[in-house]
Amino acid sequence: MAETKLNILPVPTFASSGVNFVRRETGEFSLTKIDVAKNDVQTLVQYITDSTETAVTVADNGRLELVQVFDSREKCEAKLGITLGDNASGRLTQVYIGGDTVSEIVTKLVGYGSQFDTKIGYQLDGSDTLDINLVAEHSGRKSISEIAVNGVQNGSSSKTFKGTIDFKNGAVGAVGGEKEDVILMNDKVRSRTVPVILCAEEDVVGNHGATVGRIDEHHIFYMKSRGIPEDKIYEMAARAKLTSVINCIADADAKERIAKALGWEVGGDDDEQ
Amino acid sequence: MSNKTQVGDIDRSLYDFRYDEDESDFLDSGITPEIIAEISKEKNDPDWMREFRLKSLGIYNRTPMVEWGASIEGLDIDNIVTYIRPKSRMNTDWDSVPEDIKNTFEKLGIPQAERESLAGVGAQYDSELVYHNVREEAAQSGVVYTDLESAMHDPKYADIIKSHFMKLVPPTDHKFAALHGAVWSGGSFVYVPKGVKLDIPLQSYFRLNAKGAGQFEHTLIILEENSSLHFIEGCSAPKYYEAGLHAGCVELYVGKGASLRYSTIENWSKNMYNLNTKRALVEEGGKIEWVSGSFGSHVSYLYPMSILNGRGASAEFTGITFAGEGQDLDTGAKIVHNAPETSSYMNTKSISKSGGKSTFRSLVVIGENAVGAKSSVNCESLMLDRQSRSDTIPVIDVRTDKCDVGHEAKIGRISDASIFYLMSRGLSEEDARAMIVRGFADNVSKELPLEYAVEMNNLIKLEMHGSVG
Amino acid sequence: MSQLLYVQDLTVSAEDKELLHGITLSVGEGETHVLMGQNGAGKSTLGCTIMGSPEYAVTGGKIFFGGEDITELSADKRAKLGLFLSFQNPVEIPGITLSEFLRGALEQVSGKRMKLWDFKKKLKAAMQVLDMDESYADRDLNVGFSGGEKKKAEILQLLILQPKLAILDETDSGLDVDAVKVVSKGIEEYRRSVGGSLIIITHNDKILSSLSVDKTHILADGRVAREGDGQLAFDVLQNGFEKYISEGK
Repeated sequence: MAETKLNILPVPTFASSGVNFVRRETGEFSLTKIDVAKNDVQTLVQYITDSTETAVTVADNGRLELVQVFDSREKCEAKLGITLGDNASGRLTQVYIGGDTVSEIVTKLVGYGSQFDTKIGYQLDGSDTLDINLVAEHSGRKSISEIAVNGVQNGSSSKTFKGTIDFKNGAVGAVGGEKEDVILMNDKVRSRTVPVILCAEEDVVGNHGATVGRIDEHHIFYMKSRGIPEDKIYEMAARAKLTSVINCIADADAKERIAKALGWEVGGDDDEQ
Repeated sequence: MSNKTQVGDIDRSLYDFRYDEDESDFLDSGITPEIIAEISKEKNDPDWMREFRLKSLGIYNRTPMVEWGASIEGLDIDNIVTYIRPKSRMNTDWDSVPEDIKNTFEKLGIPQAERESLAGVGAQYDSELVYHNVREEAAQSGVVYTDLESAMHDPKYADIIKSHFMKLVPPTDHKFAALHGAVWSGGSFVYVPKGVKLDIPLQSYFRLNAKGAGQFEHTLIILEENSSLHFIEGCSAPKYYEAGLHAGCVELYVGKGASLRYSTIENWSKNMYNLNTKRALVEEGGKIEWVSGSFGSHVSYLYPMSILNGRGASAEFTGITFAGEGQDLDTGAKIVHNAPETSSYMNTKSISKSGGKSTFRSLVVIGENAVGAKSSVNCESLMLDRQSRSDTIPVIDVRTDKCDVGHEAKIGRISDASIFYLMSRGLSEEDARAMIVRGFADNVSKELPLEYAVEMNNLIKLEMHGSVG
Repeated sequence: MSQLLYVQDLTVSAEDKELLHGITLSVGEGETHVLMGQNGAGKSTLGCTIMGSPEYAVTGGKIFFGGEDITELSADKRAKLGLFLSFQNPVEIPGITLSEFLRGALEQVSGKRMKLWDFKKKLKAAMQVLDMDESYADRDLNVGFSGGEKKKAEILQLLILQPKLAILDETDSGLDVDAVKVVSKGIEEYRRSVGGSLIIITHNDKILSSLSVDKTHILADGRVAREGDGQLAFDVLQNGFEKYISEGK
């Protein structure tokens, strides 16, 4: 099988940074199509273990609640396309636990007032690799996207997160926001973040933020002053990062499966964060 | 009210004038080994430099065009006269500078700037230095400020130049670095000895004048331990009708505990391809500060790079880019943290107007040994109309855990509420916009020496077609 | 006294919703008027429309200032004619200092450039009246100013720009007693030195006590519900709106 370019950044940048695309030998993608009808609401949980393509269209005033769990330790490629009509909303929650994953999410906010709200959490260890390419393409007037990514990296894991907010000409009054926070817990990790904003419309508001690395010193000092050792502080912070994503999932089975995959004890103290 | 005072309104022709190039002689347009040999002969290059140029040409021919960034399709390298010899040789005093060259400089305000006790003027006319004057003050403290070509022949500096020239930006870096290595001409050499702190800024003005002329000046600055310097590079060019190319190269070596501030305002004419490479290597405890304003050119690729190579080294980058009609300005910065406890701070603003395109592109690398490194990037973009475009493409690459990296980007427009507020106090809409844009650019202008800040504000006013006191 | 501002049967809409339905009022030279009404009655809408805010569209009627029809004029032209609006929420303009801005605005409004030294003297004097720390002159316009400081900065602009008519939109709201005193002092100073007219939008009698109010207008649902002399303002503040609005109908 020939190598294919995957996860192509909508605009290339310095070749030396190695983020423009991923090369993979790709097999067949199994295709899932979801159509959310006008005024309809659909909730779906997907466990993605091998190459999967999901294509979703949400008609006017429709609502999608999609949860995707990546807990396979095998090589995996996933594509997700979402198209949103007038006042349609898409809520996406993704959790990546380990593995060797290439994932692409392209959301087209075509409709007036369409909304895309996504929360992504990942935990990587050992030689895990993860390459995410997320594009929110705003062409609808007053469309809104909100992207929050929380990650924890350990071992010699490698991650690339490319997040693009693309304001097309005509997306008057559109608002896009994106934030990635990564905690790094081993000096062998590699973490690449590419928060892109493309803008061809005047009347928009775009915000991007990223923090990578250690936990804030003041935070550590405060916790230490209450008697908590530093490694424990990191452990707690890592857990908190993922918990904030997992709490957005309504499906109890999915929650349990994620907790298990993360090696968390399922039970009372999960909610303490 | 038509009689409002247009304070500091500058005459556009200031940047569009040019004089006949009567006495200058041209070389053939294309670049062949023969041309390179001719340049070497002309410059009386030492052997190593002659070889270096030919080797660079080979690299140039082998290196593919860059495949990302702004379009440079309009650039036809074979039609660019790469080298134009000015009619006068080195000058150390103003009186012997030819009259029409003098007029050009007069219009650009060089003599005035000098009067204001600036340390030295190395002005490049066409491709060669025509006027060079190092103030005694600088020389007395042992600071060497001269043109690179003659320094290469001075036994005192020959070795240090040979060991530093294009070592930081090797010809293999990219196609235009290779071109530069082959055809470079003119430029400055500054050497600041150990412990010397020069309080007055050194400045140079680069200009292109002849039609189709390329400019490949090389700036080499070496700061020894615990020394400090402020170097100002100002560029403006008259307008011509064929594509112009600027592929200069700046190499800055900042020694232990030394500190260098490198300020630039670029206002190339609107048909210029500005493919400039700037790089600094900073040793332990050293500091590089870049202040960069990009206003001119048709297409720019400009990403000054700082390599923080010793413990505690730091870099600061403050930049503004203003892309107007017909401009595609791709600017930003690169910072490589290659030692523990290094820190970097980047603060940029970009403005797009009248169909102009501005792209902010950056790279922050935290290497494996950059334990305890800190980096903070903040970029803001302002869209002034819906014909324009503004892209932000930062890359953060972290390879160790014990670091603290932050990035913030914002894009938006001038709010209607702000405009109404200013208009209710008597400003026209145009002036209100100009004022807000000037405020937006304030972070850069306050980092510049006063006369440059005034020049930058004038440029903004000019671009905004309005003026407020 | 001759008529300075005349608002004639003004209807105003924003985002396709009619907010003012045929307002008529006039203010003479040197007069002080109070504009009252419950939240949403249309006071700020009227103030902003008189100043020429593009947020509000005049769909009927006219506005005259000094006999000139200004209905179609942009805000800056109105300012040059001598209109001023003190904003409820002044915007923040980073990078431009208060002093720099005010000098620029004064130049626009007066049509001449004042010498820097003279301007600084004038600014300093005005700041003293308002008990403002001089350092504010060199701070970015309204950036990081507290609510009270912003309001003072608005009155400072009133004193420097010396308009013929100033609309003060709740300039006293959210201020403590001392700050209200200072703002009142500023308004008195404006009355004393310029003798200009005032339209004061307020819910508070403290700011009125030191002024002699010529006329009171009460708005309700985008209409003038009742008009009366200066005493009416104090009566309303004492007894509440309801009584007076229904009487007016």
